[in-house]
Amino acid sequence: MKQPAADPFQAISDPNRRQILLLLAKESQTINALAENFDMSRPAVSKHIKILFNAGFIAINDNGRERHCTLKQDGFHALQEWIDYFDKFWHTKLKKLESLLNQTAKTKKHNR
Amino acid sequence: MQRDIIQNWFLPHPPEMVWQFLTDTELLKHWFMENNFKPVIGHQFTFHSKPKIKMGFDGNIYCEVLEVIPEKRLTFTWKGGPGNGKITLESVVTWTLTPQDNGTMLLLEHTGFKGVKNYIISMVLDKGWRTGVKKRFMASFQQYEYETTRR
Repeated sequence: MKQPAADPFQAISDPNRRQILLLLAKESQTINALAENFDMSRPAVSKHIKILFNAGFIAINDNGRERHCTLKQDGFHALQEWIDYFDKFWHTKLKKLESLLNQTAKTKKHNR
Repeated sequence: MQRDIIQNWFLPHPPEMVWQFLTDTELLKHWFMENNFKPVIGHQFTFHSKPKIKMGFDGNIYCEVLEVIPEKRLTFTWKGGPGNGKITLESVVTWTLTPQDNGTMLLLEHTGFKGVKNYIISMVLDKGWRTGVKKRFMASFQQYEYETTRR
């Protein structure tokens, strides 16, 4: 079965995951180095990283024994897509309203 | 912190006519969405549109009328989600009509976004978003973290 696409909003809904993104925004780091910033266990940190990875926010590169994390654009683009949709929504509706109003006013004038 | 969506639109028609298009259920169907709207405070209604499954939206917008001032202002709640009664988007929509130059200045405010998801959505709806996505996103993110930890 195909896995459903990871929801970028879900991915950033957790404060620990947002913290991870903020840390990576400053500099790329290994999972071990990231884990040092948190009170949770390393597997717990890995789990958060996996969620961010699936949503396209980070890339993981294996460098010998180390796993290196860097910020990736894809997750952010997915967010922007959502936002663009919403932005266009109101614009399109207002345009429609305007043309319908114009049309109605014209018909009224014509029928007078 | 709250960020709002605001759009101004001038219509060369009197407020009385614009009001009709904002509140008549049949007219709303033509330019907005399928609905069972009534301009009555407390009336609960639904707008129907196409589902956006990928975006976690089942196509229904659940609303309740909050304010009706004929030909001046209309306010209603705007809630949506992925279905099964789960709500992930909670907000408020306000239409304000102001007479201007033989027409109407129509102001749309989409406000009151709750939660991180909506915070980010409304934040990036601001103009100038198109450039420097990541940078701005991160800056606002930090601001958000700052504000939540301060609470």
